[in-house]
Amino acid sequence: MTTLLRLWSFYARRTTRWPGVAAAIPFIALIASWAIVAESAIFPRAFFPGPLEVVRSFGSLVYKGILPDYLEDSVVRLAVGAAAGTALGIPLGLWLGMSPRAYSALWPVLLFFQAIGDIAWLPILLIWFGFGLATMTFVIVYTVLFPVVLNTVLGVRSVPIDLHRAALSLGASRARILWEVVVPGALPNIVTGLRNGLGYGWRALIAAEIIVGTSGIGFLMFDARRAGSVVEILLGMIILGLLWSVVDGWVLVPIERATGQRWGLIAR
Amino acid sequence: MARQVRSPRAGIAFVAPLFVLVLLWAGVVRAFGVDPRIFPGVLDVARAGLDSIRDGSLVMHAAASLLRVAVGTALAILASVPLGVAMGVSPAVSSFLAPLFRFFSVLAGIAWIPIATLWFGYGFGAITFVIFNAVFFVVTYNTLLGVASIPLPLRHAAASLGARRWTMLTEVLLPGALPNIVTGIRTGLGFAWRGLIAAEMIATNVGLGYMLFLARDFYRTEVIVFGMVVIGVLWLLLDRLLLAPLERATIERWGLVRA
Amino acid sequence: MKGLLIRNLSKTYFDPYAGAHVTAVRDVSLSVNEGEFVSLVGPSGCGKTTILNMIAGFVPASSGDIVLDGRRISGPGPDRGVVFQSFALFPWKTVLENVAFGPKMRGAGKTERERIAREYLALAGLGNAADRYPNELSGGMQQRVGVARALANEPDILLMDEPFASVDAQTRMTLQEELTRIWQARRPTVIFITHDVNEAIFLAERVIVLSKGRLLAEVDVPLPRPRVWDTLIEDAAFKTLSARVLHLVRSG
Repeated sequence: MTTLLRLWSFYARRTTRWPGVAAAIPFIALIASWAIVAESAIFPRAFFPGPLEVVRSFGSLVYKGILPDYLEDSVVRLAVGAAAGTALGIPLGLWLGMSPRAYSALWPVLLFFQAIGDIAWLPILLIWFGFGLATMTFVIVYTVLFPVVLNTVLGVRSVPIDLHRAALSLGASRARILWEVVVPGALPNIVTGLRNGLGYGWRALIAAEIIVGTSGIGFLMFDARRAGSVVEILLGMIILGLLWSVVDGWVLVPIERATGQRWGLIAR
Repeated sequence: MARQVRSPRAGIAFVAPLFVLVLLWAGVVRAFGVDPRIFPGVLDVARAGLDSIRDGSLVMHAAASLLRVAVGTALAILASVPLGVAMGVSPAVSSFLAPLFRFFSVLAGIAWIPIATLWFGYGFGAITFVIFNAVFFVVTYNTLLGVASIPLPLRHAAASLGARRWTMLTEVLLPGALPNIVTGIRTGLGFAWRGLIAAEMIATNVGLGYMLFLARDFYRTEVIVFGMVVIGVLWLLLDRLLLAPLERATIERWGLVRA
Repeated sequence: MKGLLIRNLSKTYFDPYAGAHVTAVRDVSLSVNEGEFVSLVGPSGCGKTTILNMIAGFVPASSGDIVLDGRRISGPGPDRGVVFQSFALFPWKTVLENVAFGPKMRGAGKTERERIAREYLALAGLGNAADRYPNELSGGMQQRVGVARALANEPDILLMDEPFASVDAQTRMTLQEELTRIWQARRPTVIFITHDVNEAIFLAERVIVLSKGRLLAEVDVPLPRPRVWDTLIEDAAFKTLSARVLHLVRSG
């Protein structure tokens, strides 16, 4: 018991010093367990490969240039779609947040279309645009739009009314209030919306690539499934998880926290 | 925040804009003479819908989809809540395992589809697996967070009042984590529903996703649009009438537990 | 006439939670001369905040007129500056930018408006807080910024809505003394809302007592200035006034 305790305190001390280590250790443990289960061949090797095989496949795909290409394709599609979705979503959200009439007219429509979901659009999109970039972009823009709009509306409504009134009593016009008060006040929520939108957009992209794809990480997994190659599917899943965790944890969350904390809007 | 009296007025206010949208749709299709193979008119869709109800296909597909969601979600919740509670109770365990579960939550449902079809073939097993995963990781992670964030003084207080394991679980841990659990279920179901539709498009021969994909092969856009409406309505009913009120109720009731 | 004139002001609204119409303000008439400091005092729910919101233009009146310097009021504007109980400082702007906001809206250039802002910050005793953000300041300092910001816009009348209610008692007394000092320096026209009888008397030249939406009484405060708490708290005239207003408030 005491040895366990000593091991644990060693671990705890090291990890508080270096939180990066704390984040990595559980995964190292997971990979180790994975390797053990795969080696023991409880499941047939073809169905449950080990980490080494996945790494080897990673190496060979990178060497062949396939992986970097696919990754680039996926990321570019997401970036373009997300940019378009954000450019549409923020103004729409600002408008709906500020105008009660627009809100009651359009909110139910928005909710309904969000409920349909991006995937359900694929069949009709395929009829309209075929298996191409237009279909993919539509799906991503559609998916990113809703979290961005919803969170922007929330942000606009969460600006305390006293701030509006203060601005009015200081002589600000409605237009200037939008720029000087509403947008900065809603900014933390807008950033959250962007973060959620990117998350959903990423998943939508993968789904579209799996069902419809011609290239990209999702297509990698779809193709591997057709060839019956579990290794590449696992590789694709790991890349997905890693990529998103890195982008979300080290880029998006810090931005979200920085905007909120800077102005003391989000309790630390 | 006091609750205003919800009236039938609220329901009408919700439906009215959608009704206007339907009218607009009908008007535009007629005015521009749109080719029904590109975009169907309101009446075509309504007719297709009635047909599918009459010949039982809608019920068959919807039932298959809902059954998969129900089974997958139920299994996932049964597995994830106890696991999440067990993990959340110990700060050491929860800080160790939380990153893992957060990582897997990201994979949602959709990323599991290829491997699900390879492991389970086509049909009920694969799709339910996808749904299970979509819900399981998210709910475990949220349960873990919920339990871990119950203020320690609360748990100490209960212990010093003589609470044993079972009482602690039912009177302190579960209610304390309930807001997080319900939020997790709501998010997980969102992933599950979308993963379901995607999976049904490629991995089976019955279900709402399949109904859409099949109709595409025959250019039957009116069936596609009807299917989309059904999917939207089902999710709206599920989310707005069941999940959102549940989430709000638990947060309102227990959200104050948060320090 | 220079100053504020309120004639037969009333406000009735529908309360969805009570399911009935509520009259917050009932036929109130009063006037405030230019450069005068008037306190509106009364218990919670007596309508004083509603009156302030109507003068500020945040809420429309049900009936009656509000006339400022001969013009009828409709909607908010820079001629009526407001100091809020919640401070309402813009969290993403520095103290200087907050105070410079009014002049900025009026079109003043950067150097001009910063000069004005620094002048009023100095007046409020906040010279070295100019580059801080509101959440770095204490409540008392934040409210001083609020006062400086409203004054920097040089409004025709300053409306203060229980501005010191969110601040602890000692800071409150300091702020009250500061406010009288600032007022004596600039002589703005002020309407000050409070439920604290002593505060109302300390600050004002005239105290107006409200009760249940109606104007109950007006009490003149002939105490000499400058006013300081240490001396005033034992002053016989102050104590008499305080007792009288307190009785009015409690009896109403």
